[in-house]
Amino acid sequence: MAIRRVSVPALLIALCLLSSVSRAELVIIGHHGGPDSITVQQVKDIYLNRSSRMPDGQRVVAFQLPAGNSMRDEFNDLITERNDAWLKSFWSRQVLTGKGHPPREVSSANSMKSVVSSTLGSIGYLDSTLVDDSVKVLLTPEP
Amino acid sequence: MYSVYRSTARFTPRFAFSALALTATLSFPTMADDSQRIDQLEQRLDSMQKQMTESSLEKVRLNGFFSTGYTRANNDAGYDEATEQSDLETLSLFGLQSTFSLSRNTDAVLQLVSRGSEDWDTELEWGYLRHQFSNGSELRAGKMRLPLFMESETLEIGYGQPWARPPEAVYDPVPVRSYLGADATYTINLSGSSIQTRAFAGHLDDDAASLGQTVNVELRNITGLTANWTNYLWTFRGVYAHAEATIGGTPPLGDEEKTEFMGLGLSYDDGSWLLMSELTRVEVDGFYQDTDSAYITLGYRVKEVTPYVTASWVESQDNYERDGTPLEVLDVRRQAYSLGFRWDMTTSVAMKVDWTHARGFGKTTGGLIGNQLDALAGNPGGRFDSTDVYTVRLDAAF
Repeated sequence: MAIRRVSVPALLIALCLLSSVSRAELVIIGHHGGPDSITVQQVKDIYLNRSSRMPDGQRVVAFQLPAGNSMRDEFNDLITERNDAWLKSFWSRQVLTGKGHPPREVSSANSMKSVVSSTLGSIGYLDSTLVDDSVKVLLTPEP
Repeated sequence: MYSVYRSTARFTPRFAFSALALTATLSFPTMADDSQRIDQLEQRLDSMQKQMTESSLEKVRLNGFFSTGYTRANNDAGYDEATEQSDLETLSLFGLQSTFSLSRNTDAVLQLVSRGSEDWDTELEWGYLRHQFSNGSELRAGKMRLPLFMESETLEIGYGQPWARPPEAVYDPVPVRSYLGADATYTINLSGSSIQTRAFAGHLDDDAASLGQTVNVELRNITGLTANWTNYLWTFRGVYAHAEATIGGTPPLGDEEKTEFMGLGLSYDDGSWLLMSELTRVEVDGFYQDTDSAYITLGYRVKEVTPYVTASWVESQDNYERDGTPLEVLDVRRQAYSLGFRWDMTTSVAMKVDWTHARGFGKTTGGLIGNQLDALAGNPGGRFDSTDVYTVRLDAAF
């Protein structure tokens, strides 16, 4: 069997490229008409009903991915620091006591991109590998 | 929660068309650009959904809650009306809540509740108009929950609570729930914390159970103030309310008696640890018992399961007012210890299992209905010194 020689540096570069492409990293995205950046605390405040505005003062419309999505788990780990059971109970209380409504759930990463790109004041989150020009990356939270 | 405004007639034709297109696309899985087309269709579907949520459909929101449970005690002392007979009715209820947006900042809220303990008669529990001002204040008028306790707003929404039932020691001495009136709330958001104050006033006329009878309870000229501070981890709360109470019964328990309520609350929730505690005092002139109560709950979440322990205490402070009368049975002294857990079984459904042991009644009936009726029937020897209550409960919110 013929084994093609591959130089070690080339292999390393290829591996690096590969890993940077396949590593799913959470990014917080927003509409192009919104602010350029946001802090972890500000995102947390929005997703836990403590704030209804984006850092630039716009009324916020928050979106989330469905339960079971790995990016949602990542988001809960890095941003809200609450699990789904806690969040569900929390939002039931908010809704039934008239304090607010949970982030709107979209069905997939593509839907996330399309609603965030077309809604003023929107905020959402996505796998960094799926981001394109239609939305603005506001924050890449450190794990 | 979204299902309500997804299923609308206006949307149906377009939705059906998209669904048809989707099915058609899906039936040729070999085509190279299929996934792209599906993505496009998905995007269109979502933008339609978005239009829906933002247009007329957000004018009505419908939510509900449901509970059912099984209770049984080791004797007939009557803690939360539990007896040796299994009981399903006491904990069963169904609630429906709708919010109608009248304008951007004004809405009408309606809550209907049917309770198993009241033969499933449907009652308007809340019905109020609310207006929110841009400066953080809010005005409400109509029938609303009396905001005496930390968990007043979720009193009947078991899904929103960690326990199988709110601690009886604190939540039982006030036998009424909702009043007719108005309130004003002002919220100040500071960085990382917020302070909320609420002033309320109104009138209440309702039935309550007392010593095995249904008695009328009227609270006139209710006025009160609550203050709440939270940094979203710790919450501190204070409440004071005043009213004139007329309470029926034979003999009547009060006629326009000066009534005061005072309460302090504390809670902590970091997503794992949970701490809740309230300290309350009820003072009613006349025969109705003045009580001091407190409880503390500690819980810890392990994924979907939250075990908790609660210790509570209640004691009447005006036993001398009923000395030598049959109403002595209203004297109360009681401690209760609960061990239980909440299990979030699936999205929107939680199960709770609880064991509560009550004791320390001293010379009183412990304020428990079984003991009270026994004493009234001239059978004081039949009094139980303690009781164990077992509860399994299911709560849902939708």
